[in-house]
Amino acid sequence: MKMGNRLIQFSTEWPKLITGVMVIVTLILATMMVRVQVDTDPENMLAESEAVRVFHNQTKRMFTLHDVVVVGIVNETHPDGVFNPTTLGYVHELTQFAMNLADDKNPEKRVVARDVIAPGTVDAIEQAGPGQVRFEWLMRKPPETRAEALKVRDRAIANPLLKGTMVSENGKALAIYLPITAKDFAYSLRRQLLKKIAGFTGDDRFYITGLPVAEDTFGVEMLTQMAISAPLAMMAIFLLMLFFFKKVKMIISPLIIAMVTVIWTMGLLIGFGNTLHIMSSMIPIFLMPIAVVDSVHILSEFFDNYQKIRSRRKTLKKVMGHLFVPMLYTSLTSSAGFASLALTPIPPVRTFGIFVAIGIMLAWLLTIVFIPAYIMLLKEESLATFGVIKSGNDGSKNKTLLSRILGWLGRITYTQSKLIVLFTILMIGISALGISKIEINDNPVKWFKKNHAIRVADRVLNEHFSGTYEAYLVLEAETVAFELPDAVNAVKEALAQAIGNEAPVYNEAIGLVKSVSSTSGSAEDFINLLSDEFELKMDAAPDEEYDMWADGLDVMDSIRNRGQIFKRPDLLRYIASLQEHLVQTGTAGKSNSVADVVKKIYQELFEANPEYFRIPDTVNGVAQSLMAYQNSHKPDDLWHLVTPDYAKANLWVQLKSGDNKDMEATISVVDAFIKENPPPVPLIHRWAGLTYINVVWQNKMVMGMLKSFLSSFVVVFVLMVILFRSPLWGLLAMVPLSVTVAFIYGIIGIIGKDYDMPVAILSSLTLGLSIDFAIHFLERSRQEHTRIGSWREAAKEMFEEPARAISRNVVIIAVGFTPLLLAPLVPYQTVGIFLASIMVVSGIGTMIILPVLIKGAERVLFQNK
Amino acid sequence: MKKTAIWIIGLLVAFLGVFTVSAEEATLTLDDIVQKTNLAAYYGGEDGRSEVNMTITDGQGRTRTREFVILRKDVEDGGRQKFYVYFKKPSDVRKMVFMVHKYIEKDDDRWLYLPALDLVKRIAGSDKRTSFVGSHFLYEDVSGRSPTEDEHELVETTDTMYVMKNTPKDPDSVEFSSFTMWIDKKTFIPVKIEYLDKRGKKYRLVEALKTEMVQGIPTVTQSRAQDLLSGGKTVSEFSNVKYDIGLKDSIFTERYLRKAPKAVRN
Repeated sequence: MKMGNRLIQFSTEWPKLITGVMVIVTLILATMMVRVQVDTDPENMLAESEAVRVFHNQTKRMFTLHDVVVVGIVNETHPDGVFNPTTLGYVHELTQFAMNLADDKNPEKRVVARDVIAPGTVDAIEQAGPGQVRFEWLMRKPPETRAEALKVRDRAIANPLLKGTMVSENGKALAIYLPITAKDFAYSLRRQLLKKIAGFTGDDRFYITGLPVAEDTFGVEMLTQMAISAPLAMMAIFLLMLFFFKKVKMIISPLIIAMVTVIWTMGLLIGFGNTLHIMSSMIPIFLMPIAVVDSVHILSEFFDNYQKIRSRRKTLKKVMGHLFVPMLYTSLTSSAGFASLALTPIPPVRTFGIFVAIGIMLAWLLTIVFIPAYIMLLKEESLATFGVIKSGNDGSKNKTLLSRILGWLGRITYTQSKLIVLFTILMIGISALGISKIEINDNPVKWFKKNHAIRVADRVLNEHFSGTYEAYLVLEAETVAFELPDAVNAVKEALAQAIGNEAPVYNEAIGLVKSVSSTSGSAEDFINLLSDEFELKMDAAPDEEYDMWADGLDVMDSIRNRGQIFKRPDLLRYIASLQEHLVQTGTAGKSNSVADVVKKIYQELFEANPEYFRIPDTVNGVAQSLMAYQNSHKPDDLWHLVTPDYAKANLWVQLKSGDNKDMEATISVVDAFIKENPPPVPLIHRWAGLTYINVVWQNKMVMGMLKSFLSSFVVVFVLMVILFRSPLWGLLAMVPLSVTVAFIYGIIGIIGKDYDMPVAILSSLTLGLSIDFAIHFLERSRQEHTRIGSWREAAKEMFEEPARAISRNVVIIAVGFTPLLLAPLVPYQTVGIFLASIMVVSGIGTMIILPVLIKGAERVLFQNK
Repeated sequence: MKKTAIWIIGLLVAFLGVFTVSAEEATLTLDDIVQKTNLAAYYGGEDGRSEVNMTITDGQGRTRTREFVILRKDVEDGGRQKFYVYFKKPSDVRKMVFMVHKYIEKDDDRWLYLPALDLVKRIAGSDKRTSFVGSHFLYEDVSGRSPTEDEHELVETTDTMYVMKNTPKDPDSVEFSSFTMWIDKKTFIPVKIEYLDKRGKKYRLVEALKTEMVQGIPTVTQSRAQDLLSGGKTVSEFSNVKYDIGLKDSIFTERYLRKAPKAVRN
């Protein structure tokens, strides 16, 4: 208090100095903001060193995978769908155009032309007359006749790797997959494509989707949105304050506080070398209401008192005397709420929490130092009418309306306390029910409004295709020890089988095995040395023995290559059955694997006979089918699905939705399948892909948020106990907050809104904002009770000035952020709705629950006073 | 492959004698160079045999190998040819055979024998610009691109090289817009071939890394094909090259696909 007094005294005496310093610091920090680096990649929700990201990147490298932008072409009117010469002409033109696209500024950000999937860039394996197969581009050039166009369709649909992926089963839609080297090229790619598409005529509809597009576009729109919503919110707050306080000169001060706070905080954030991430871009939106709240308390009280006291300095002294401690504590608690986010395992959330916490304390400091200074700088005459409207004509209705409502509310809390308690308990019950129904789920595509082009594209394309969301299931064998005795036994066994122990060279071969094994140090040594020996024998062998030694060498080779498990028919069949299971359970639209390639080529090798759409029976059969496949235009396509050493396989899973809950369902289906159906060799299975990464950071975030929320709950409680020097009062302060949090999350559960990233973040805001009113209310209640001596009388006082300050705050913040509801980005809408609900619920909760509880526990609460 | 290629020069040298060479060279027409190059690259000797060790390296440096034997027999110089490619490694494709009857006036006949499936399959040969067994060499690099398919232009003649630009007559049939050959003046071996894509950007490079004289015939013993975009490359090493070994015509028939001829042994 003493320090507070001195501070206020200082600022009322040196208003110009204070203003000057503030302006200079603001300018310095504003220049920092120029150095902003934007990072819109949700992948960065996880630290770069995070195991799942490391593995994701490894997987991308291992299987030459890229993030993919999907362009869908749909024609519902033409009887042949998109498979007519005109549309295919456009498809061809667009593919050629897209393959050469790169970022203007950084040509390294580009479309990976080689891996584009489009009718003109994929191979068709097909029958070319009896006993013949042909590898041919599916569509080297756009067809000129209907028959040619339909042939493209039929060949594409006949290829299981393309059906549902590149071509819809009904022939109405085609998809072009454009892999890109950098995700942040997606937005620019989409724009370039849209420009090109604008030049096409006809009934074809073009849609562009894929997670990279959603994520990158969100990043771009988010920045625009920040530039629009923050000033709009500011404007709305300004208008509301004008309505309440009438005096433009006075109400500019909270706006200055809000702006300066935002500039200082963002300047510091950027100055410290942080990138502007999706999270940190929301800092201004979060800081503004908090920064404004304290000033509104000051202004509200100043407004109510000034005409009585008629001196700026004296009024300030009185107002600040009331408010210094509650403001300090509300700021500390809000700050603690956000600082607790530093406990989450998500770097951008940590940065966000820390800087909002810093921003809140800056706002507090600026408020108590600058607002008095600002008021002192105003001429006494210009304040002459400030607060006069209280009894004036045009303001009287207002005043009486608000005052009347508050007066009525005050009486009710006294007379109907049992009802209020009952009602509160009922609400808590309903909220608990709602909370139990909360579904944790997120999907970057759903960050756009339903009618946003990206959402529409997502919906349409996932109706036509098997899914535009990718996840990769990487399979590999668990490492098994293979020592020298194992190798010797394996060789002996295999030799007996390959050469036969009747064969004349068999004994010779076994002799070699024995002599070589005695001189080798390891299994590897043994196999290599033995191979050398066999090779010598083979070279010298007479014709009839030549093949036997060669077979012996094959034995060595197959043992050496025992790690090439994904040539094994049993494993490929296992993968195929897993794929079938995935589609049957409906979580995945489709999946592609090396098993599909093998089956397709095997079938084509046997006259396209459907009976041969299966895995050949031997390793060599698989290997030779795959060797035949590699005589195509793009043999390297195989390496998207299996590594060249055949030790790791990639199951490319196509999901129809990017919802985390759908990805999670797929994960558990796979886990359960592998558990119930043990693979022929023990396999390690791990996921990669953007859709999966989103699940991982979501789970981390939800758990992290819960932890940070609980810890900040405790911190706030401790602060309250210290503030009120009483555990009971501390507990009391936590009541409205708890009810608000329960109520808001209850509503989320009841209306079925997914608990997503913005909702998770907002829990800290709820805590920080809703404690504010309780602090102000309780602090004043104690002061009034001490002054008056009875709660019955004190309560009446409470529903004058203090209740008005709370109410004004509620209205200003709640209404002030309604411009956010107009944002095309859902997280911004969520924040807007949330802020309004938090303010309304915690405001009302504070004003009706606290008086009832104080009344009920009056004796205990005030026993020592 | 190229290694099997180059003996035309040897023959020329033998027939015309060293003295006439310079005189010949002076009066060489573009057409002469085209023909000599074709012969040098693909028609060495009447027939030939070579063992090939192929190392395929992808953009990430991962390698795979193939080991096979190539038998070749010319029906006429600069014209029809027959190839028989017998796989030794990887062991799971051992005994696989790839056989080609190359024609100038029509599509080649190609066969694939897959022993594990006991299957002889013909591969329709309309498009020769497909990968040769997953390597960076194309089928056309192995069997030869007919000079009649391109327009030729001598861009430059240096002390040691002819630089010849080749533009396809049917641009739609290939993925390149043109390719340029650096042809050794003495041997007529194309030591470097650069391919430009449809946008005129260099994307593919085929080189003769080592050339040796085998039985008096300049023979490429190491060659490399590079995919400049992915950074992948394939190096082929040719060993035990022999020419004029008297390969029988019957070897190059379907009957010998299932039972490899002795000639595939050393």
